[in-house]
Amino acid sequence: MNWYKMNRLIVLGLKRILLPTMLLSLLMAAPVWAAISCELNYPARDVPRLFPDSTSYITTYFSFTKHGGPTLLRQVESRLGGVPALFAPLDVPYTLYEIYKGTKKVGYVHGVNQKGQFGVIEVFVSLDMKGVIKAFYIQKISGQWARKFTSTNFGKQFIGLSLKDFESYDPVSSKGSGKVAAIKNPAPEASTDFYGLLRAIKKNLILMDEFFYSAKKAQP
Amino acid sequence: MISKFQIASKNLLRKKSRTFLTLAGIMLSSWVLVSLLGFNRGYETALNRDIDNMGYQIMVMAKGCPYEAATMMLQGGAGLRYIEQSVMDSIAKKPEVDQVTPILMQAFFDPNKGDGGGIAGYYGVDVATYPGMKPFLRFHQGGWFHEATAAEAVMGYEAAELEQRQVGDMILVPEKNVQLKVVGILERSGTQDDGTIFVPLKTLQKISGIDKITTIGIKVKKDADITKLEAALYQLPDLQVVSFSQVKQTIMKLITTARIMVLSIAIIALLIAMVGVVNTILMSVLERKQEIGILKTMGAMPWDIFCLVWTETLLLCACGGTAGIGLAFVFARLSDILVRRILPYAPGGNLVAIDMRLSLLTLAIIVTVGLASGIYPAWKAGRVRPLESIRSDV
Repeated sequence: MNWYKMNRLIVLGLKRILLPTMLLSLLMAAPVWAAISCELNYPARDVPRLFPDSTSYITTYFSFTKHGGPTLLRQVESRLGGVPALFAPLDVPYTLYEIYKGTKKVGYVHGVNQKGQFGVIEVFVSLDMKGVIKAFYIQKISGQWARKFTSTNFGKQFIGLSLKDFESYDPVSSKGSGKVAAIKNPAPEASTDFYGLLRAIKKNLILMDEFFYSAKKAQP
Repeated sequence: MISKFQIASKNLLRKKSRTFLTLAGIMLSSWVLVSLLGFNRGYETALNRDIDNMGYQIMVMAKGCPYEAATMMLQGGAGLRYIEQSVMDSIAKKPEVDQVTPILMQAFFDPNKGDGGGIAGYYGVDVATYPGMKPFLRFHQGGWFHEATAAEAVMGYEAAELEQRQVGDMILVPEKNVQLKVVGILERSGTQDDGTIFVPLKTLQKISGIDKITTIGIKVKKDADITKLEAALYQLPDLQVVSFSQVKQTIMKLITTARIMVLSIAIIALLIAMVGVVNTILMSVLERKQEIGILKTMGAMPWDIFCLVWTETLLLCACGGTAGIGLAFVFARLSDILVRRILPYAPGGNLVAIDMRLSLLTLAIIVTVGLASGIYPAWKAGRVRPLESIRSDV
């Protein structure tokens, strides 16, 4: 094989291998987050506890920057009573745990951050494929009354609720009716945290509705 | 009249794939080279800035603090070791010392952080002397503490973002259940201050129930002999001295190994790219042997042919180099993130600092090495014998 033919072969090889590899590397570049998201501290331990039927999970991310932008953010804030979130809401990447039983997706675990009386409240819910709450978990809350909110009895009140139940209740004005209005505040001295928790759950369900449940229904 | 550059570019465009791949090789190597040179400078600048942002050049702390503190506390130990405030007064009298500031680091167990609980750290600083050490403190919201014993907190930007706090909000010191009012949130600085919660020293001492400190920050006079002061401080019993010039030297030593390795890779990448250049130009010369022969029969001198072929090398290197530098500019942030993931310690700010001067230097290196690689093919082209080449098959 002479110099010329060998070169043609090399050029052909590079064209077929190098270019697709470079393109693939660019497409697979990992996303870089700008703000703070709400993540489970120990997902491998927490997911089976929040979703006992699960066999595996996949961690995914969604954000307003990727879908919907400022318009959708305003829509979510308006559904929440018009109070804007505190820190860089458009950039916040929401961490979503997609739950599987075998190969079948059976639900989601999703958490949000909410301003509390003495610090951030990190609250998670596990949801089935219809958007009904299966489990409730507060990962972080500050205050002497924290145990009252993290108790099983308080958490039980959220199980079985869905966005429909929260639509008849406004956690900003604390006015409304139905199952959510019936939830008792275990620490009357901590009303900021109590209503903050209700707002966090409503925000969580609205986000899941806008990004997943309604989006799925809208698909042809 | 058609110029040498036009002829050279037309020749290169005859074999678009080959030219593109050679350009890609040069582009990648110049990208690596400029990013590496940018890292060389950016890392040192960022490290210097981080150390300057500490505000003081020397820290004196009780032995075992803070390295063993977390372990001691997790194992149920008594926690941190402390320094008497009188030690600070004696250090302040030394002639080399400009200013001193006492610091108390305290950690409290928060049972409501996750399932097993977690540690919340607080940084007690002297309300009067600490800002003097850090004249570049900038506030995003609010300001500094109102008095030395105020039940107040100043939060770093990330600490405030993480806890969703604003000026006027309250925070609670776990374990002690003491409430503090947030009076200031610092601007993001890219330093450890971003994640720190500052509390007045006396307030934190009162909360912790101790009247001692854990650390003394020392600012040295401009013309003072730091080594002499360090030697004197080493004589103090049960104390350890951390000099930031030593820290910097140690970090730079660690990084130098990585820098040499990456520089070697960059040189290899550059050599591979230049072999590609030689190959491309040589192939082009061999393919155009008859054409060169005809040019010579029409009166072209060996120097003219040499210059023509050399111009092709120049074009390849200049275009590839410029594109590579452009890529380095565009992906500087990405390079920064990758470097941060690899390095054991990365200071805040831009680690890969690329500017116009560095870009021009890289372009000059690429073009010079490229032109040197192009000498052989150009010389070979200049030596083509007209009649032999016209008669040949290729």
